[in-house]
Amino acid sequence: MASHEERLAAGLFLHALFPLLKVVMNENAGVRKKFAGVNASVQFQARDGEGDMGAYLKFADGRLDVVEGTCPKPDIAFLFASVKRMNAMLGGKPALFRIRGFYRVPLLVKVLALLMNLTLLMPTARPADPEKKRLKVKLTLYMMAASLSQFNKLGNPDIRKWTSMQPERIYQFSVAGREDMAAYLRVKAGKTQAGPGLYAKRRPFVHMKFRSVDEALPIILNEVNMVTAVEKGYLALEGSPEYARDIGNFMMQIQSLIM
Amino acid sequence: MAVGLTWNVYDANTMTQAEIYGKVLCRLGEENTDIVGLSADLAKSTKIGEFAAMFPDRFFNAGVAEQNMFGMAAGLAKAGLIPFVSTMAVFTTMRAAEQVRTDICYQNLNVKIIATHGGISFGQAGTTHQCTEDIAITRAMANMTVIVPADGIECANAVRACLDINGPVYIRIGRGFEPNCYTTDAYGFEIGKAVEMNPGTDITLICCGITVLQALEAARDLEKSAGISARVINMHTLKPLDGEIIRKAVAETRRIITFEDHNIYGGLGSAVAEVIAEYGKSCAFARVGLPDCFSLVGYPEDLYSHYKLDADGIIEKVKEVMGKDFEDDDSWEDGF
Amino acid sequence: MPITDQELRELRGHAKQLRKDIIDVTFWAGGAHIGGALSLVEILILLYYKYLHIDPGHPDMPERDRFILSKGHAGVGFAPMLARRGYFDFELLKDFNKFNSPFGMHLDGNKVKGADVSTGSLGHGLSMAVGMALGARLKGRSWRTYCVLGDGECNEGSVWEAAMAAAHYKTTNLITFVDRNKYSVDGPTETVMGIEPLGDKWRAFGFIVKEVDGHSYAALSQAIEEAQAETKAPVVIIAHTIKGKGVDFMEDDVRWHYGGLDSDKIVEAKRYIETAVIG
Repeated sequence: MASHEERLAAGLFLHALFPLLKVVMNENAGVRKKFAGVNASVQFQARDGEGDMGAYLKFADGRLDVVEGTCPKPDIAFLFASVKRMNAMLGGKPALFRIRGFYRVPLLVKVLALLMNLTLLMPTARPADPEKKRLKVKLTLYMMAASLSQFNKLGNPDIRKWTSMQPERIYQFSVAGREDMAAYLRVKAGKTQAGPGLYAKRRPFVHMKFRSVDEALPIILNEVNMVTAVEKGYLALEGSPEYARDIGNFMMQIQSLIM
Repeated sequence: MAVGLTWNVYDANTMTQAEIYGKVLCRLGEENTDIVGLSADLAKSTKIGEFAAMFPDRFFNAGVAEQNMFGMAAGLAKAGLIPFVSTMAVFTTMRAAEQVRTDICYQNLNVKIIATHGGISFGQAGTTHQCTEDIAITRAMANMTVIVPADGIECANAVRACLDINGPVYIRIGRGFEPNCYTTDAYGFEIGKAVEMNPGTDITLICCGITVLQALEAARDLEKSAGISARVINMHTLKPLDGEIIRKAVAETRRIITFEDHNIYGGLGSAVAEVIAEYGKSCAFARVGLPDCFSLVGYPEDLYSHYKLDADGIIEKVKEVMGKDFEDDDSWEDGF
Repeated sequence: MPITDQELRELRGHAKQLRKDIIDVTFWAGGAHIGGALSLVEILILLYYKYLHIDPGHPDMPERDRFILSKGHAGVGFAPMLARRGYFDFELLKDFNKFNSPFGMHLDGNKVKGADVSTGSLGHGLSMAVGMALGARLKGRSWRTYCVLGDGECNEGSVWEAAMAAAHYKTTNLITFVDRNKYSVDGPTETVMGIEPLGDKWRAFGFIVKEVDGHSYAALSQAIEEAQAETKAPVVIIAHTIKGKGVDFMEDDVRWHYGGLDSDKIVEAKRYIETAVIG
């Protein structure tokens, strides 16, 4: 029976991390080409006494959708005997699992290659290629917003308490205020919503603005701490410093769950 | 992996980006060697520390002794210098009230006061470090010019402009983490001349300090979601008050609400009410601020939300005054 | 009466707990006046566990001794001490500084059980203490008033007005402490606005001055008992302390007047506290 933390981590992988694969598809022409004309569903599922956890990737007409739950007839299914094993695999660690439909080799290879892109998010990934750097920063900003939102939706009591006490507020993350390198978290009375870009309908309550992709990376990789980053101008923290700090704290909690 | 942040009071000062007046004061200090600075053991945690670092011989730390500090400032002014004195608003207008009023205002000395942590901007420190009475107090001191800048950019403008006045000036700011509502300082700042930040015809929102930005946000939302056209006025100078812009608002919009981080008694609201009452034309009028109470403890953003001084609170008050009601519409699904 | 070994063990235990609590509360509060709270620990523990005539179950007990923390920013130390002493539930401190909490940087006497007055603005406490002492005498009561000042706080003229009055009215039922940790915010007190010779100043104002090691229970204890027996003039105990005492990387460092800690630093701080032998 999976622990509460394990189910929380799984929820973050399936509902915050997986949707980022769509970003990879959109940004990487090579990947897009590989999936052109592919119509298939790839299931990820972990068995658990409290209720199986899973989601599937639906490739259709060159697009990718992430759907919660079980696909009736998946082309490939990654099946895990426990939530813990699924978390390990998705977190880039060795794990035992079954693959139903493993004979669909071309599709399997494409899917695994696609998943490999997510290793860019690992704290150990230090890309040199400028395109990969940009993608890493973008994926990280998206992941920050998405995982905070899911962390709340999945019911972690600390963040729930934090969101429940707030009127509508926008927490914005961006690189130099760029629309394409930005993600936001919207909070209101216990509810959260995350999305790409610069939220237009309301001024951000907290805006973490990285000066550039190159200056964002050392902060993301924890090589430069926040106080130094702000002092040097790599990062501008606009808005309430206390709430910005709370975001940082939740991010650390999330990271320790999934990495 | 560490959760949280290790920092100290000096770091906090580096992280406040809103107050650029520190740099402006340094530049002014270079141009004018009569400028001196004073602080009451708060130089390192307020922006006057930058002046102190650049001109150590022209800076005097009075230690934790505010009454003496303002007395010394008066003496320095008498000796032909131009003192910029900085401490928290509560200590300026209450602990050292008599020195400010008798030594500085009564003698009409050229002392420039930068009062920090005005209103409830130092929320977590509690009432002993908050000041919701200072506008009322300083307005009642003859010879005093009273300015409440809307943001750090306007504060820098005020610091520059106050040198054109040969007399006491009181500039009241927040704790330094307040967001900017201006993007440039070249909007024609003039002491005594309020700024129309947003044109409007249905209602006028007269604000000073942090409420200016909030009112602009509110006006934007009101226009889009409720079709209400709200005029926003930044009344940065409380004395001398810009009566003309108020009379114009009465005549053209017939509804005025004031918003301030201050007690509803004696501050911006009262000042505007004085003008409206003497004007004689009828007008729907309301004052929003601290409802004659000492604030709760909390982070300032949460307190502003509680006392309805944030954009949402302003929207609510406007709709109440306009007598309309609107509903929430949207979906909460993530957009990735 | 000298402190027994048993008492010493207990006092040190309470002090160790209080230091750890100060670190925790600082984390929950998102930042606090750590240095000046840590320097005050021995004085607080000794008063509240040995000398003050109090009953945490009855915070308004009329015959209780009064305590005024004139250096109100040390609330981050005062609050957890009151909680452990039994005035209120320790859990309440987790919302320190948050919206509508009774606990903020400076404790609200109307909201915190065990806090006799609201302080925070420096220089107010001693005047109120003198007033309380006079009130006790007028009503023929035997309870005492204890007041703790900071050393930077002694810059404030109002402190000396109060001192003058205390001597003039011979309020010997008032015992005053100065937490002489040698720093205010902008630097060492002697660099910002010098207060030395401090003892001489209090003496000139009519006080009997006792200078002690502010981290020694034996020395503090002797000074307090002598002060309690004194009838000729009010007593001030100048306690020589170390700002940040108990946490190695904070000791004697002006920067830790106010700050925040990340979770790694908290573990480090508590490790030092665990091994330090103070008092």
